Amino acid sequence: MSPEDIAIQFRHVYKRYRLYRNNKHRLLGIFSKHIAYKEVFANRDLTFAITRGESVAIIGKNGAGKSTMLKMITGVAFPSSGKIEVNGRVSALLELTAGFDPEFTGRENIQLRGQLWGLEKSEIVTLEKEVVEFADIGVYIDQPMRTYSSGMKARVGFAIAASIKPEILVVDEALAVGDKAFREKCDRKIKEIMATENVTIIFVTHSAASAEAVCQRGIVLEKGKLAFDGPIRAALDFYERPQEEPVAAG
Amino acid sequence: MAQDSQAPLDLLAVRTKRYGATLVDIIKEHKDYRKQIFQLAAVDLLKTYRGSALGWLWAVIKPSVTIFVYWFAFSVGLRAGRDVNGFPFFLWLVAGIAPWFYMQEMLTQGSTNLKRYDYLVTKIRFPVSTISTFVSLSKLYVHAALLMIVVVLFVMSGNPIDVYFLQLPVYIALMFAFFTMWSMFASLLSAMSKDFANVVNSFVTAIFWVSGIMWDVNSIKNPILAKVLLFNPVTFLATGYRNVFIYKRWFFQDTFALFAFLIMLAGMFGLALYTFHRLRRDIADVL
Repeated sequence: MSPEDIAIQFRHVYKRYRLYRNNKHRLLGIFSKHIAYKEVFANRDLTFAITRGESVAIIGKNGAGKSTMLKMITGVAFPSSGKIEVNGRVSALLELTAGFDPEFTGRENIQLRGQLWGLEKSEIVTLEKEVVEFADIGVYIDQPMRTYSSGMKARVGFAIAASIKPEILVVDEALAVGDKAFREKCDRKIKEIMATENVTIIFVTHSAASAEAVCQRGIVLEKGKLAFDGPIRAALDFYERPQEEPVAAG
Repeated sequence: MAQDSQAPLDLLAVRTKRYGATLVDIIKEHKDYRKQIFQLAAVDLLKTYRGSALGWLWAVIKPSVTIFVYWFAFSVGLRAGRDVNGFPFFLWLVAGIAPWFYMQEMLTQGSTNLKRYDYLVTKIRFPVSTISTFVSLSKLYVHAALLMIVVVLFVMSGNPIDVYFLQLPVYIALMFAFFTMWSMFASLLSAMSKDFANVVNSFVTAIFWVSGIMWDVNSIKNPILAKVLLFNPVTFLATGYRNVFIYKRWFFQDTFALFAFLIMLAGMFGLALYTFHRLRRDIADVL
């Protein structure tokens, strides 16, 4: 396997959060090593490689460290130690309703995103046309986004994220976007992107059926650690295995 | 690998290298995103004046009201507004207060940047170091417009543009550099702690009154106090604008004042780099 084939590489990645007793301690903690804090690890010693064109399901309970891992893949969060390598343009369908300036209209937010990506004027015009058409929210597209319902925001969010022709697509299935008709439209779009050659898919889900439908490989996270990495069926069996120790209360 | 038993000199070398790498990162981010920085400065202006019927006019109305109130209180109320260097008190006031409006915006809004643009930090992959730069640039556009009005005001009252105006770009550049770095430092800290934002807000009025914007710093009789005051960057910059418009002095004539400012500028640079280096990777986790 040559290094160009690697889409995502994690090497002994830890993500540590420091919990201070209060805000004052957090501020002082920046300048002094003598302020007490508790450490929690959202990710511990994650090591794996995902090759180009692979579809991988990330499986785990709430709080297992899935979101933290995805944030690090998309590049908005950084590991506390270890190395992450991501090769290719990442598009994340995570929190679709986020990442907009509430004061600007939907159309202005599309243009803003185009500018943030450094697109040329003509490219932004095309992007705007595509997104407006796909989101299909009528006259609301020219209203400030603070007036949008969460469904409308998600429509624009999905349309933008799907429009950038990603090389690595991160999909959180928990995003139930809009009504049935729009969800089906989204599914079709995701399938269309997946069908593109060499697109790497990271798929986060709780549903075994959809994980098996989309992915060949599964990574199971438990308490921040990589508990299983292998073929999707085996990963799902591992995830759904009967727990031996009784679950602690709470 | 860093070890606890390292000699102090080695440790210093390691630190220097790490901070140097951070500085290179910041410069690279600015180079790669120079187009976006200018576009976002325009976006910031739009965001600031959006949603009001008078829109852009507020950029002029707000300072005009403030200037009128101070002029009224000092000249009419306190009867303190004497001519300075042959210029009426009103013009003297305008020359020093014009840069203050920029500095005030940067002190307050400059320190809440990251909250205002939290979506650029936590939701999108974007170079965080450039946020202070484009916000500062947006405020500078407003300042440039105001400065234009000030120049017209001076010309109309019979004080033509002279050779001293050539140093305006120098003062503008120094002011921009200082407050952009301030904003990088302060916005990171206020994102970490609300207390810091409150501290800044409660001191802004104090800074205004001690910095010699409403009174002539040259009138201080105590020589030690006069020197100490020169270490206040706000004083240096407000006085600088008056050097151009009123006192007709060059920025290098008072070497002590210039060096005092440059020391503070270097200090702010160090502080901004230190904070950015320490907090860049944590900031998305706390916003």
